[in-house]
Amino acid sequence: MFDNVQHVIDQLEKHKYICSRDIATTIYLAMKMQKPVLVEGPAGVGKTDLGKCIALALNMELIRLQCYEGLDEAKALYEWEYAKQLLYTQILKDKLSQMLSNEDTLTDAINKLSEEEDVFFSDKFLIPRPILKAVASPSPAVLLIDEIDKSDSEFEAFLLEVLSDYQITIPEIGTIVAKHKPFVLLTSNNAREMSDALKRRCLHLYIDFPSKELEEKIIQIKVPECGSYLTSELIETVHRIRQLPLKKEPSISETLDWAKALSLLGCEVLKKESAIDTLNFILKYEKDIELVKKKSDDIFIH
Amino acid sequence: MKHENDIQHRVKKKFFDFTAILKDAGIELSTVEVMDMFEALQYVEFNDKNAFKQTLSSTLIKDYTDLPVFERCFERFFEKKTGDSDNFLDTLIERSIDQLKSHDDQKITDEQMIMLQEQVEKFLDEQPSESLFEKTPEQLLSLFLESLEESSESGGGGLGFMLFSSRGHTSSPGISEEDSDETGDDATLDDDLYQMMLEMLKNRRNEKTIGTEQKKHDEYLLNKFIYQLTPEEIKEMRELIMRFGQKMKNRISLRKKKIKHGSLDVKRTFRSNMQYDSIPFRLFYKDKRIDRPQLIVLCDISSSVNQYSRFMLLLTYTLQSLFSKVRTFAFISNMVEITELFREMDPERALSSIFSDTDFTYGWGSNYGNSFNQFMENYSDSLSHKSTVLVIGDARNNNQDPGMKSFLRIKERSRNLFWLNPDKRHLWDWSDSIATVYKPHCTEMREVNNVIDLADFVDKLFVKK
Repeated sequence: MFDNVQHVIDQLEKHKYICSRDIATTIYLAMKMQKPVLVEGPAGVGKTDLGKCIALALNMELIRLQCYEGLDEAKALYEWEYAKQLLYTQILKDKLSQMLSNEDTLTDAINKLSEEEDVFFSDKFLIPRPILKAVASPSPAVLLIDEIDKSDSEFEAFLLEVLSDYQITIPEIGTIVAKHKPFVLLTSNNAREMSDALKRRCLHLYIDFPSKELEEKIIQIKVPECGSYLTSELIETVHRIRQLPLKKEPSISETLDWAKALSLLGCEVLKKESAIDTLNFILKYEKDIELVKKKSDDIFIH
Repeated sequence: MKHENDIQHRVKKKFFDFTAILKDAGIELSTVEVMDMFEALQYVEFNDKNAFKQTLSSTLIKDYTDLPVFERCFERFFEKKTGDSDNFLDTLIERSIDQLKSHDDQKITDEQMIMLQEQVEKFLDEQPSESLFEKTPEQLLSLFLESLEESSESGGGGLGFMLFSSRGHTSSPGISEEDSDETGDDATLDDDLYQMMLEMLKNRRNEKTIGTEQKKHDEYLLNKFIYQLTPEEIKEMRELIMRFGQKMKNRISLRKKKIKHGSLDVKRTFRSNMQYDSIPFRLFYKDKRIDRPQLIVLCDISSSVNQYSRFMLLLTYTLQSLFSKVRTFAFISNMVEITELFREMDPERALSSIFSDTDFTYGWGSNYGNSFNQFMENYSDSLSHKSTVLVIGDARNNNQDPGMKSFLRIKERSRNLFWLNPDKRHLWDWSDSIATVYKPHCTEMREVNNVIDLADFVDKLFVKK
């Protein structure tokens, strides 16, 4: 558990995640209030990484659920292992008939059998999927529900019980309540709007592109081979590029790739030629690259 | 202890005020969110402004498109009051009092001051919101004093008495206390006290109107005649349109799930039932895709609609980035497809490159006939029974051939044909406009010259059907 906002920043930094005070505050609050966090923001600003690093920092197990269209409860919550149930009844056929041999009428036999039916709907035949795993986990875990916006909206309904009460109701068994409430993080890229019910149960965190200082720190910690001079020059450039009217602005992950590429090429200063050659690391649209090339005199100093 | 409770109460009230402001500004807040905020506030240090702000935003704001509005309300409500001071909480409650007290220390005690402040707040809360905007602070103050008079006469509150007796001590000779019938007339009331109360009222009124002003500003932009928007306002508009477009998309995506179950998905059913020896225990259905209209936008960008078309193109750009099937064409006297341009470039750049492009023979007046003919010649493949054609322009054809033949063929080969006309209805046939020539052949010709109209139209087009 984190002690205060600063503690969150320090702990995450140990695991190479540099976060702003805003992010840390929300995470700290979510832990204290035991509420899930819905994280939104442009692609590549480290939404998923945040979940991973929290798990590392708190030494908790990370249970990750990647959402996609058509994801259903059988893949997210739990599933009965039907084949195993069948197999077991086959194997136990003799045992069953032996057990039922003393009963005279059909009614008695059914009564006798139904006394035992719990056996077939027990934990033994239940396959836990990520969400049940997180709830039933013997130690506190981090449950990362990634790209929730990719799932169907019915799926949100399955989540509501977990998000507010940290429990799952399985009709055949009953309600499983979490011994240790997992820390739940949902990420979304805004492909669609989440329902109000879901949003109400979560704290909301919007991660935007980082400030220069923060991004510089991120590069330094993730790509130390990129010297401090090159790093600061790189960041200045990327921030200048973000000012341009682009179709898709480069985000942190792209900056990281660029830093890695440039240091692999053995650059010590950001030369205009080598920068232009490697622009495709940060810009994904041809027209964007063209634009930057056109304005290269203002953007690149050397 | 009582003092402590008092402070707590006042702080709480401040936060309720803030949530009321957000609601005024058009942000939806439920009780759960407000409760969460109060719970969360226990865990943060108030003097850490960053953390404090983030606490409010992450508990209250659930829609990131509302963040800019929150930001502005927060600035105005908290920051002006506290400045850069370190201790956020103290300044939050104390300063308003201290500042006022500096006028005169002896006349009135802290407690009385707080009571007075509360009374002022209560009074303003009871006022209808329109009168807050219309009346001057002086008018409000005299109203307030009247109400105070009434309540003290009916024995309702000791405050009036307190106020008048305190005035009694200091009032300059010659003015008798019996004059209190005419309260509101500042000659009878001590000047310092009057100023102080005026200050109180002003502060409070400013606070209360933050949210409404914000919303009014947005509405003002949305309602303004598009021709008359200034460049700065257009910039602001852009943000507004983006937000608006995103909200619209969200609404459509919510609708999407309502129409779901289609026919049996044979492949998926087989695949997942293999484990049960191909006995179909679980059935899967195909999702029925909702029939999204294919949109074809023909936008007049001639100088007569210059301002308007800039804006329309911006909206088309937003539409195109939100929906997959939009093709955009622009014309003055020639029809040119600009879908690709929009796909690859930021709107600002796309717009300026459109206006500097010579393909349109810029400078010549618009020629609808020629443009429609060209459209049928070159782009008729874009039309299908699913497509909705949107013509945006004022139909000022410079006395040239209207190209009815092509226009009718466009209409025949599409599902709907809408015409959005920026001119006021009574101007539709004015000068060289031939709007009524086209009008009978459109599914509808509409007067659209502000964002609200437009929102209405687009909403109908995509959401209700």
